[in-house]
Amino acid sequence: MTTVANDAGPARVDAPDEQYLDLPGGRVHLFRGGRGAPVLFLHAAGGAGYWHEFHQLLAGRFEVFAPDHPGFGGSDELAEVEGVDDLVYHYLDLIERLGLDRPHVVGASFGGWIAAELAVAAPHAIGSLVLLSPAGLRLPDHPVADLFRMSPPQLADALFQDTAKAAAAFPANPDVDTILAAYRDMTALARFAWTPFLNNPKLERRLHRITAPTLVAWPSNDKIIPVAHGNRYADLIPKAEFAMVEDCGHAMYFERPAEFAEITTNFLAAGAGLNGVSL
Amino acid sequence: MKFVYFHLMPYPYLPDDFDGSYPSPSLTFPNKFFDRELGNRLYHRYLDELEYAEQLGFDGIAVNEHHQSAYGLMPSPNIMAAALARRTETAKIMVLGNAIGIRGNPLRVAEEIAMLDHLTNGRIVSGFVRGIGWEYFAHSVNPARSRDRFNEAHDLIIKAWTSDEMFQWISPNYEYRYVNVWPRPVQDPHPPIYIPGAGSTETMKFVAQHRHTYMSVYAPTPVVRRWFDGYRQAADELGYVPDPEKIAFSVPIYLAETEEQAHREARQHLLWLFHKGLKQGPELVFPPGYMTPSSLRGLLMAGMKPYPELSYEELLNHGYAVVGSPDTVKARLRELQEELGFGQLIGLFGLGDITPERSRRSTELFASEVMPAIRPLGVADSVAAVS
Repeated sequence: MTTVANDAGPARVDAPDEQYLDLPGGRVHLFRGGRGAPVLFLHAAGGAGYWHEFHQLLAGRFEVFAPDHPGFGGSDELAEVEGVDDLVYHYLDLIERLGLDRPHVVGASFGGWIAAELAVAAPHAIGSLVLLSPAGLRLPDHPVADLFRMSPPQLADALFQDTAKAAAAFPANPDVDTILAAYRDMTALARFAWTPFLNNPKLERRLHRITAPTLVAWPSNDKIIPVAHGNRYADLIPKAEFAMVEDCGHAMYFERPAEFAEITTNFLAAGAGLNGVSL
Repeated sequence: MKFVYFHLMPYPYLPDDFDGSYPSPSLTFPNKFFDRELGNRLYHRYLDELEYAEQLGFDGIAVNEHHQSAYGLMPSPNIMAAALARRTETAKIMVLGNAIGIRGNPLRVAEEIAMLDHLTNGRIVSGFVRGIGWEYFAHSVNPARSRDRFNEAHDLIIKAWTSDEMFQWISPNYEYRYVNVWPRPVQDPHPPIYIPGAGSTETMKFVAQHRHTYMSVYAPTPVVRRWFDGYRQAADELGYVPDPEKIAFSVPIYLAETEEQAHREARQHLLWLFHKGLKQGPELVFPPGYMTPSSLRGLLMAGMKPYPELSYEELLNHGYAVVGSPDTVKARLRELQEELGFGQLIGLFGLGDITPERSRRSTELFASEVMPAIRPLGVADSVAAVS
């Protein structure tokens, strides 16, 4: 029961609740905040462990569940979760564990790949699907940039269009703990995505299985994943729309949180209605 | 003391704009810079140098494995060992080592080393290394699985050499339903194993537990001291004192007749090795998962400078290299041996862009002037005699 009047300005949202879920191999950290239809947000390679402005904006309309992937942010490395196929089962378990009824799934970059795999494996377990510059496809003519080989300044430059925001995201002299935390996240990413590099060669031919209304969104200046990947996703997912966000790098919701929250919210609100879920 | 002549086989002919234009001689440095003729001559020159080291009295001659790099031209060290096998008679042929962390099929290493043991009539020494970070890019192997792959491959290879019965091998990274290696090695139970360490306590314990030889890599003397102490402590916890010969100190060495001449000549070649050959960002050396969190923390806290930032003087003063006349090299090695307690010296004489003449003279001076004086040091009996 909500008492917030949506037309009286920006909706108030609950402060995010931070919790840990105990699983057989360890525990998983997640944020949850907001009210409304459930949204499972699957983060990109960077940014685990934080409740971002983007989450906060989505939480104005939805109940957002933002877990850290195993081995990222505040989540333990779960020894048995060692591939993206394991991650799919992991998130199906998590959906069940949290008692979510066909949550919308929003995934960015690496998390977008997991979201697409989830929608392929269990089309009826999710509501709508939003893929924000997802990895996952193997397009030899449009290679994904090798972020494993980039120094922090190179990574900042590749991720952001706005250099000021890049500088803020990558402080010049990080302390040892910050370096170790970033190395841990990248190690988790490498476990899942070193080879095949950020892709599952079989995903492309399975995309036809997705039944969810799908939004594929891309930043206009993506120097990590070429937009050809977005076009391929949008072509092969049966009910897919494509949207471009201007003046933005692959950092997406870090660089332009308002714009990404707006297209996501608008799409999900419409999709939620179609699915017969009341807000 | 045992003496090993170790060759990296560098490719020294870098373009003039190398320093400003290329982040590293490894992984992405274009192979168009490998001149077919010059490269061809290098292989034969370097093999000649290794063979000559046997004649000069070195106990071992050593090669290693690197991929896609001008730093070292031996993607397959076993091929180099095979080339040396029947051209030499007494020296140990040391492969330091096979990069079993990146091998798709480690059983092949068991087979090749066993064959080499026959070609050398039991003179093969088998080093195992994980492979440098960039090689995980080069051979598309997941560095997050590096340590597991190394450990599994190590256990598999030893079992393949020592088992009298066919067996099945199943571990997370490898599955073999039929392991039954022909030939078995000459050496019984198997060739000696050398493993380099760079500060990881896991490695020290692993090497001590298996009673393998522990090798150092380029580092300042106090850091090498901590590694060797860690290895000795790990052995002590297992209830034994390692033979000094199982502790191998690796170091670049250059000698000339006089002190002044030695430094004048060595500077360029040593700086080639550290400033060009070892030019590589942390992203190339420590890809994600290659280091355990505790090892990476240790490395960051140690605050070691990247190799290209070390001056010639720092390289000498901190013990990264030994340069001088025969007398000063003798004195310096005595000092280092006393500090570090090694019984095996792995000398790198083919420094960077060194000329064949200088390389030869430096090695000869070492063999004739330094070796006899240092040989009595670091021997198990002498250690016992002291106490």
